[in-house]
Amino acid sequence: MRLISKDDGTWEMQRIRELEYLMLSKLEDACDPGGSQGAIERLLPSPLGRPAVDDKEDELVADWESLVHPDLRSQFKASIEVVLSDMRTITGRKRSGEMEYRLVVPKKHADDWCSALNQARLILHERHKLPEDELELDMEGGHEQWLAILQSEIYGSIMEFLVTRILWLK
Amino acid sequence: MRAVETETVAAPTIETKASESVSPPWQVIVMNDPVNLMSFVTLILRRVFGYSEEVATKLMLDVHEKGRAIVWTGEREKAEMYVQQLQSFQLLAKMEKVSE
Repeated sequence: MRLISKDDGTWEMQRIRELEYLMLSKLEDACDPGGSQGAIERLLPSPLGRPAVDDKEDELVADWESLVHPDLRSQFKASIEVVLSDMRTITGRKRSGEMEYRLVVPKKHADDWCSALNQARLILHERHKLPEDELELDMEGGHEQWLAILQSEIYGSIMEFLVTRILWLK
Repeated sequence: MRAVETETVAAPTIETKASESVSPPWQVIVMNDPVNLMSFVTLILRRVFGYSEEVATKLMLDVHEKGRAIVWTGEREKAEMYVQQLQSFQLLAKMEKVSE
């Protein structure tokens, strides 16, 4: 996959191979924390980073849950919707016998892409209990963990491009 | 956090006002997270607090190397606003009273 920042207000993913396309198509699922309490708590953490110890802290945490968390949920969901809408415009063609895909995205959607990709990475790491260093991955963990690492790395590469080539310059 | 190299020095903002002498100030703290990209954390610190690249990078490296960094100190309402903004970018942010 090649990532290009263009002068016409867009950025482009070119030469997306089948495996990368597959990983991109799994983004929506990856952004869903499902029943993983760890993933939910990672996306919607307490403002204290620990349990409350008195009534004032209880009040702060309760307010946070009732006022801030709904806002965060709504922002995260909105970003995912922007990305899914962009992804519906992906095009593909056969090249040298293999499918290659291409996607052009407005630069103004870069923040939404970062949010969705980051949500997915955080949830993948929680859901699959991925180690900080992939070299520490237990081989007994099975191919699902390896696929989750690959998926997270692909999302991370796109994020790195967006941060350093598009958002950094804003 | 994942890779990116740089070096610099700086300090986070500390706001002081007369009213803060009554109630202790709060610190906004960013905790280390093995998933968030180092470049992303630096970008968000620049964006939320308006820090220079040097300051934001120094704070990001503190988070990465020491496990946490105090990124801002001041009144509670602003601390809440900053923590919310940082969490909206999925940074692991929290607030503490300075006396803690």
